[in-house]
Amino acid sequence: MAATPIPLEVRNIKKRFGDTEVLKGLSLHAHKGDVITMIGASGSGKSTFLRCMNLLEQPDEGDLIVHGEEVRFKTTKRGREPADWKQVVRMRARLSMVFQSFNLWAHMTLLENIIEAPIYVLGKPKKDAIEHANALLERVGLSHRADAYPAQMSGGQQQRGAIARALAMDPEVMLFDEPTSALDPELVGDVLKVMHDLADEGRTMIVVTHEMGFARDVSSQVIYLHQGLIEESGAPADVLGNPQSPRLKQFLAPKY
Amino acid sequence: MLDLHGYGPRLLEGAGVTITLALLALALAIVLGLITASAKMSRSWLAHRIATFYTTVIRGVPDLVLMMLLFFGGQIGVNVITDFLYYEFDIDIFININAFVAGVVTIGLIFGAYMGETFRGAFMAVDQGQVEAGKAYGMSDALVFRRIRFPLMMRHALPGLSNNWMVLLKTTALVSVIGLSDMVRVAAEASKATREPFVFMMTVAVIYLLIASVSEWIFARLQKRYNIGYGEAD
Repeated sequence: MAATPIPLEVRNIKKRFGDTEVLKGLSLHAHKGDVITMIGASGSGKSTFLRCMNLLEQPDEGDLIVHGEEVRFKTTKRGREPADWKQVVRMRARLSMVFQSFNLWAHMTLLENIIEAPIYVLGKPKKDAIEHANALLERVGLSHRADAYPAQMSGGQQQRGAIARALAMDPEVMLFDEPTSALDPELVGDVLKVMHDLADEGRTMIVVTHEMGFARDVSSQVIYLHQGLIEESGAPADVLGNPQSPRLKQFLAPKY
Repeated sequence: MLDLHGYGPRLLEGAGVTITLALLALALAIVLGLITASAKMSRSWLAHRIATFYTTVIRGVPDLVLMMLLFFGGQIGVNVITDFLYYEFDIDIFININAFVAGVVTIGLIFGAYMGETFRGAFMAVDQGQVEAGKAYGMSDALVFRRIRFPLMMRHALPGLSNNWMVLLKTTALVSVIGLSDMVRVAAEASKATREPFVFMMTVAVIYLLIASVSEWIFARLQKRYNIGYGEAD
C-alpha cells in the first residue's frame, strides 16, 4: 500500500525584507491530524513564516511540498518566484487561510463568501456549494446570519464565518494567522471553541497565536520562534511546561 | 406652443448622435482608464512612463485643439501614407477619417486620462486583505480582479466616474466643429435659418438636462448596487 503523502512539508525557508533577514531557515512537517501552534514575540517571523506556506510571501530560499507535490521556483531579476502559477493556485486551494482581520469580502453576504471559492476555484455546482455552506454555517453557529454582510456582523461572527469559508474548500491544511488577536476578549472564546472542535475531529492545522491556553490544550506540537529561528519545538507539555531557553522562559513568564 | 419650424426630427436625430457618441466614448474611456490605472500601478518602469506621458499630454492640451489635431492632422497623416503607398507600390487606397469616429476616439482618449486617475485612486482604496483572501483561496489574478477587486473598486470609483460622464456628455458639443451633425450643430443651423436662436438653444439645453437627469438616476442605482454590504444599502 502506498503511503499517503504528508499534507505539508516546509524545508529551510529563508526570507529577507531589504537588509533584514526575517526568516533564517525554518522547517516544519505537518502530518495528518497535527495541530502545530507557533508562538513568539511580535517580529519573531511567525506570521511571515505562515504566509510563506501559501506563498502570500515569496520565500527567498527553501522548499515547499504540498501533498507530495513540490512547488517549483524560478529566479527572475525581481527575485525568486514560483515557476508555474497554475501550480500555486492548485496548492493554495488545498491550504485554507484564516486571517487576523477576517478579510471576508465586504460586497458579499456571508453565504456568498462561503460558496465563492468552491464555485469559482473548485468548480463545484452552486447547489452543492450552498448545501455544504449551510451545513458549515450550522457548525459554527451562524445559520441565522447567512444573508448578513460582513459589516453587519460582530468580529467574532465574522471570524467564525471566515472559518466556515476556509472549511468549504475541504482543505488539507488550515492556516490560522492570529485568528483571535483582533477580537474583543468576550468574543475570543467562541472562535477558540470552533477551532478546538476542528482539532478534535482530526483537522490538520497550523496556528499562529498568542493564546497559550489553546496552545497547551489543543496542539500536538508547539514551535517557539525567536528572530527568525526555531528556538524550541516539541510537545506542549515540554515546551510550555518545561521551557529550556531563557528567552522562552521570559516569554512565558507572567507580564504583571 | 413651441414652434421648431420643422427642425424637430433633425434635432432628435442630432440628440441620437450626441447620445451614441457619448456612450461609445465612455466605453472607450473606461477601457483606457482601466489600462492607464493598471499601468500606473504596475512595477514596469516603461508602462508607468507611457501612462504618465499620456495623462500629462491629454490633461495639458485643450479638448478642442486635440479634436482638431486628430481630425485634420490625422487626415493629413493618413494621406501621406496612402500617397506613399500609391507612388511606391502602386497600391491605390483612399481612407477618409470619419468625423464620428474621430469624435469618439478624441473624446474617449481625453476622458480615458481622467478615468485613469479616478480608477487608480479607487483601486488603491480597496482593502488589500480582501484581495489577499482571494489569492489565498486559489483564485487567479484574473478571477481576483473580476470577483473582488473590480466590484470593491467600483464603490470608490462611481462618484468620480459619474462626474467624468457629465463633463464628457457636454464635451460632445465640440464635435460640431468637425462637421458632425450632433444636436448642437443642428440647433445652430436652425437658429441661423429661422433667426430664433433662443427657441433652439433652449430646446437643446432641455434635452441635455434630460439626458443628465436620466444619467443621475442610473448612477444613483449603480451607487446603491456597489455600496451593498456597507450599511447604506438598505
